[in-house]
Amino acid sequence: MLKINSLSKSFNKGKSYALKNVSFDLKAGDVCAIVGESGSGKTTLVRLIAGLERPDDGSILLDGNVVASMQKFIQPNKRKIGLVFQEYALFPHLTIIENVLYGISKLKNKKLRAVEMLELVGLSEMESRYPHQLSGGQQQRVALARALAPNPSLLILDEPFSNLDSMLRMQLRNEVFEIIKKTGVTVLFVTHDTQDALSVADEILILQNGKVVQKDAAANLYVKPNTLYVASLFGNTIQINKNLQAAFRCPLNEDCCHAIRNEKIMVNPSNLDSDCEYTTNAKVIKKIVLGDTIQLLLKLDSGEQLSVTTQDNNIEGEITIGFNSKDILEFK
Amino acid sequence: MKQVGNNIETFSLKSKFKRFKRDNNRWSVFTLAIVLFLALPIIFIGVELFAGPGETWGHILEFLLPDYVWNSLYLIIFCSGLVLTLGVSSAWFVSRFDFPMRKQLEWLLILPLAIPSYIVGYAYAGIFDYGGSLNLILRQLNLDFIRIEIMNRAGLAFVLSISLFPYVYVSARAFFLNQANNLLEASKMLGVSERKTFFKLMLPLARPAIVAGLVLVIMEVLNDYGAAQYYGVNTFTTGIFRSWFSLEEPETAVYLSAILIVIIFSLILFEKWQIRKVKFTSSKTNNTQIQRIKPQKSLRFTIFFLVLIPVILGFVLPVSQLIYWSYLTASTVFDLEFLIISLKSFGIAITSAFITVFFALLLIYFSKWSALKFIKNVARIGVLGYAIPGAVIAIGIMIPTLALDKWLIEFLAKFGIETGFIINGTLIALFYAYAVRFLAVAYNPIESTALKVDNSIPDSSKVLGVGNLKTFIRIEFPLIKTGVFSAVILVFIDVMKELPLTLILKPYHIDTLAVKAFEYASDEMVMEAAIPSLFIIFTAMIPVIFLNKLLIKK
Repeated sequence: MLKINSLSKSFNKGKSYALKNVSFDLKAGDVCAIVGESGSGKTTLVRLIAGLERPDDGSILLDGNVVASMQKFIQPNKRKIGLVFQEYALFPHLTIIENVLYGISKLKNKKLRAVEMLELVGLSEMESRYPHQLSGGQQQRVALARALAPNPSLLILDEPFSNLDSMLRMQLRNEVFEIIKKTGVTVLFVTHDTQDALSVADEILILQNGKVVQKDAAANLYVKPNTLYVASLFGNTIQINKNLQAAFRCPLNEDCCHAIRNEKIMVNPSNLDSDCEYTTNAKVIKKIVLGDTIQLLLKLDSGEQLSVTTQDNNIEGEITIGFNSKDILEFK
Repeated sequence: MKQVGNNIETFSLKSKFKRFKRDNNRWSVFTLAIVLFLALPIIFIGVELFAGPGETWGHILEFLLPDYVWNSLYLIIFCSGLVLTLGVSSAWFVSRFDFPMRKQLEWLLILPLAIPSYIVGYAYAGIFDYGGSLNLILRQLNLDFIRIEIMNRAGLAFVLSISLFPYVYVSARAFFLNQANNLLEASKMLGVSERKTFFKLMLPLARPAIVAGLVLVIMEVLNDYGAAQYYGVNTFTTGIFRSWFSLEEPETAVYLSAILIVIIFSLILFEKWQIRKVKFTSSKTNNTQIQRIKPQKSLRFTIFFLVLIPVILGFVLPVSQLIYWSYLTASTVFDLEFLIISLKSFGIAITSAFITVFFALLLIYFSKWSALKFIKNVARIGVLGYAIPGAVIAIGIMIPTLALDKWLIEFLAKFGIETGFIINGTLIALFYAYAVRFLAVAYNPIESTALKVDNSIPDSSKVLGVGNLKTFIRIEFPLIKTGVFSAVILVFIDVMKELPLTLILKPYHIDTLAVKAFEYASDEMVMEAAIPSLFIIFTAMIPVIFLNKLLIKK
């Protein structure tokens, strides 16, 4: 339903690109998360899709129709996209119900639809209040109701939870996606938080410096990351460089880059797992208690330093660490 | 860096042209049209230069031009010095020290802005005149051998400075209040003395703000006609008037205007260059209020008197003189005709305020809706009229409208329709001129409130299927109402006070309060000028206080 072809956007006439050659598809009914650090081009991408920016190159197709290309540009108000902004962007001088009604003024039974939407987000009794009288989470839900009211073919959420603290965030995330699931709308969901993405998305698209580095099912990203960057987004990862390869006596293909997840490194494996393939000796030089896990800063015999996590509080002094070849991540 | 895929072509000329074709919408064209419309007076002055100078140009060049240049330069230098001293010192005193009646003085210092310079000029002429207020007082004290002659260049410079210093005061104070506190505290922590903090830290930091205020003062000095004419000082503006009305040589007026435009644009470029060189001020506004020092009693009263001086000179003295004159002339001046003039003045000012604000809104929003980046810079050109003296704008409108009217009359005559002038000498020309001259006055407050509305608000309206115009009417306008309202008021005041442009372009049968005051003064009836002057001052005063609140918020 959404097709992006080698989309590029630069804000300084080509000196650098906010987005470069981005291509991907989205099937109807999918929930896709766009993940990337700030400055990776996530927001630029959704603004281009919504029609709030114009591409410098490439094209965007919605339901098979070109909405933006080098020749053509369809105005945002003609695209039938729902967009929930990071800062909600509710109209401060309109009541909640007026906000929801705003986008459906041409609808016959608009009032009914608006009330229905407010019921969906559980705010029907607040309809005559003004946005500033609502909490952040409530404003968020009004923004969602407003975006869903015109029955958009695509719903975009731009960092919808970044203004909230972590407890509220998790609760609201679940609520919002339960609402969305009920409507069955296709969703593009921008976040810099991998937890957000993993917990709700069918598919995740990773952006780095304006380029797509990987687009895959959520489960695959953890197991088969394309790059070290993607791997490290989904958990602490240690690159197995030449020195580490020597220390663990595990020669690896020189043309590739290899890494191991922190949690896959076994501490004193002889006690836990007798068939650990690669091992080396190390000395604990610092121990940081992080609640239920413990982070150990180790110094290998070869002089390398690395940190691992364990749950055993009694580990000290000289230890053995190791990992298995099946856990090694390999990148081209 | 190596380009990948089709991006090699992304910024080729061909791609740029493709995108230009895609992005060029009607709003870009409308913006360009409005800017062109507002720039017409200046363009016409440029075009008219090719017609060659008038007969007396040689004479003017030889005998008068050096006088114009020298007098204008003298006024600029003298006024700059005095305005800086008064404006910066009072701004520093009120923002750094606590002293008796500080809060009242803080806004009293702005009030001189409510009095047009020419009216301050009339009042001071009355005070220092032989048989004037000062003379009467001195005679009581047997000191009447002291006689100060004010009707000269130095007197004019004094009058202009005393009425214009608030421009510097306002911008310097805004800087001291909003930006300076953390730096002040840092300086204090480092053990630097108060005096050194001011001269080594605050003054250099405030320079861009001070220069911005100073440039406004200089533009007003160059714009002034009424005071210079009354004090008999030849400046560019009086020169333009003389060549237009006395010599009846529009070509010469055009040449003088062109020189003045060049001078002013160099001034603007100088300011831009100056501010680029020293852009230290952080864009973040500092929320902590400046901590005022409470000096010991004697110093406290010294500061109080120092700050009181500009208020007395710029407001209390001239207004008292005017009130005294009004008392003397009330019976002769205050009649039905005067009331009609007041109402007409009021009507003209309010109508042109609405027209000007309308143009400002068009320019701000059309350029916003245009998808071409450079259009936003083009829109700013439309605002430059504030820098052009009223007399110059008037000349730039007079010449083309005369030609257009002649053509229209001939054209309509072919169809048997007999008309007089349609544009020239009518209110249309006057409203147009006010819009050109005061667009910036409307543009800036509207733009600054519009900037406070987060882009995501209109954006979300558009995503919800509502077009630009409807988004403006239903969402943006309700949110910028206060900015629009203050813009209307500010333009209203400026039109009420305006003299040179009005004198040249006003319809024959219509007078404004400003024109009436000027005519009385020119007819050796300066006392009678007091009542219309006071009317202008009081209509301007209430909004000036309002403007002060607005500026503090900024």
